[in-house]
Amino acid sequence: MDHEAAQLEKQHVHDVYESTAPYFTDLQSKAWPRVRQFLQEQKPGSLIADIGCGTGKYLKVNSQVHTLGCDYCGPLVEIARSRGGEVMVCDNLNLPFRDQGFDAIISIGVIHHFSTKQRRIRAIKEMARVLVPGGQLMIYVWAMEQKNRHFEKQDVLVPWNRALCSRLLSESSQPGRKMPCGHPERSHPYHPPCSVCSCSVCFKGRCDSTQSHSVGYEPVMAGACCASIRKESEEENGFYNTLGKSFRSWFFSRSLDESTLRKQIERVRPLKNTEGWANSTISIQPARHSSLDLDHQEPFSTREQHLDEEVFVETPQKHLEWLKARATRKHLNGDHQGEIRRHGDGNFLDSTNTNESCVDRGNLEKGKASASKILRKVSAVDSMDSIPDDTIPVEEQQPDILDSRAFMRYYHVFREGELCGLLKENVSELHILSSGNDHGNWCIIAEKKEND
Amino acid sequence: MKLLTHNLLSSHVRGVGPRGLPLRLQATEVRINNVEFNPDFVARMIPKVEWEVLLEAADHLRLIEVPKGPIQGYEQDETFLRKMHHVLLEVEVLEGTLQCPESGRMFPISRGIPNMLLSSEETET
Repeated sequence: MDHEAAQLEKQHVHDVYESTAPYFTDLQSKAWPRVRQFLQEQKPGSLIADIGCGTGKYLKVNSQVHTLGCDYCGPLVEIARSRGGEVMVCDNLNLPFRDQGFDAIISIGVIHHFSTKQRRIRAIKEMARVLVPGGQLMIYVWAMEQKNRHFEKQDVLVPWNRALCSRLLSESSQPGRKMPCGHPERSHPYHPPCSVCSCSVCFKGRCDSTQSHSVGYEPVMAGACCASIRKESEEENGFYNTLGKSFRSWFFSRSLDESTLRKQIERVRPLKNTEGWANSTISIQPARHSSLDLDHQEPFSTREQHLDEEVFVETPQKHLEWLKARATRKHLNGDHQGEIRRHGDGNFLDSTNTNESCVDRGNLEKGKASASKILRKVSAVDSMDSIPDDTIPVEEQQPDILDSRAFMRYYHVFREGELCGLLKENVSELHILSSGNDHGNWCIIAEKKEND
Repeated sequence: MKLLTHNLLSSHVRGVGPRGLPLRLQATEVRINNVEFNPDFVARMIPKVEWEVLLEAADHLRLIEVPKGPIQGYEQDETFLRKMHHVLLEVEVLEGTLQCPESGRMFPISRGIPNMLLSSEETET
């Protein structure tokens, strides 16, 4: 089982991060407030480890401590290093550190990528091992219970469509940097990906059509697609119905703990119904379009119930072309960077945030018009051919885009109490100090017990 | 990779002795950086240093003026602290290797980043 687990993680965690790492190069990441606070509360002169540091957003939060960033993904570590961090490539399951070297450790959005309970325990035990007695460990994992959406299963494969988040406005003329859709970057997507573009860094609540205008560069579509969804659904079935559909378009993985993993990793089944797939994955489905009836059991949703066995689905060529087309939409002007930043991170299903940001974003009319146009096109399968020609340049690794498997990330989302239970029952060397929910994540702060 | 980082490393190769076995450091490219001196910070690091490991690494890098151990009243001794600051934080190995002394397994350091990943054969239970 461990071998299969490693295989699954290789394909749906490590390889994905490695492939998508380049997209994070120019992004400015933001540290989560509570994690930031935890780091800043550490005594000056402390030795801290960020296990699963990604692009290193937490490495420089506290200049009075020495933080070592570690990640399995080489390319992400390279980025962290280019930002001045002290980093290394290693495996959470087998940390190359002596016992009791660190005063504090953070594990933000990492443990949920391990595909078996045993591996999750092992990862936590490894961190406990290298912690000094009295030292603290902070863990963040994605919660199964989300405010407006409930995962049907705990083991999920989340699509991350590169075509939609492909171009970053790194050369943007706007001051500062941000994700194409205006969101602070998440190198580790412990946030639920944006339902629309499945972009891990694109939060629903902060999707904004008013992007910085970047003439001459490939425009980014994430904001547009989110704007359209917002606009449409507000008037019709409501924002979260639409969101719900997009969630249901995520794949569900069979839990590795539940059964033997037969051919899970190798099995791929092409979609029979292209149209259903295209519509449901993107979930930009204004209710007024009868062909995109939100309440209708889409082929894909139905298929999902049988996805116990098949978790891998080929993304049809047409679908991807459509995604590329969306990628070409020009975006509206406007600099909401400040506002977006202020909203900070958070659960994109957070209704308060969403409503707030939905209503206030100006200039949606243009976005709506073109979005509607595209949406109507999508509803008819053969309209795929009439997609505008100004697509983004096709990258050399075209095959990668076509293979959706390459961009699906595995998560084991945690139930309330699960993380605490895991520690209490299996990691007796740790004592839980506090636990709670932070923006859709279960978080825990535990302390290494003193030696007897 | 800084020497402070190296000081925290130990071999994790399966079947190799007790944890805590330091890795043998060899460098083909070393850079000296200018890092802001923070005496309090350095003073707090001192109790955490594994001196044998540090001295051996410093020796391999042919560093000079490396204190052999904490001296009496080191917290206020600026000369001592500055030397430690230099050794721990300013010396950086850009290219080199880390070797497990027992198994001989080598781990590369490239562009300042050590890669400690073991192969699947080496890690599987």
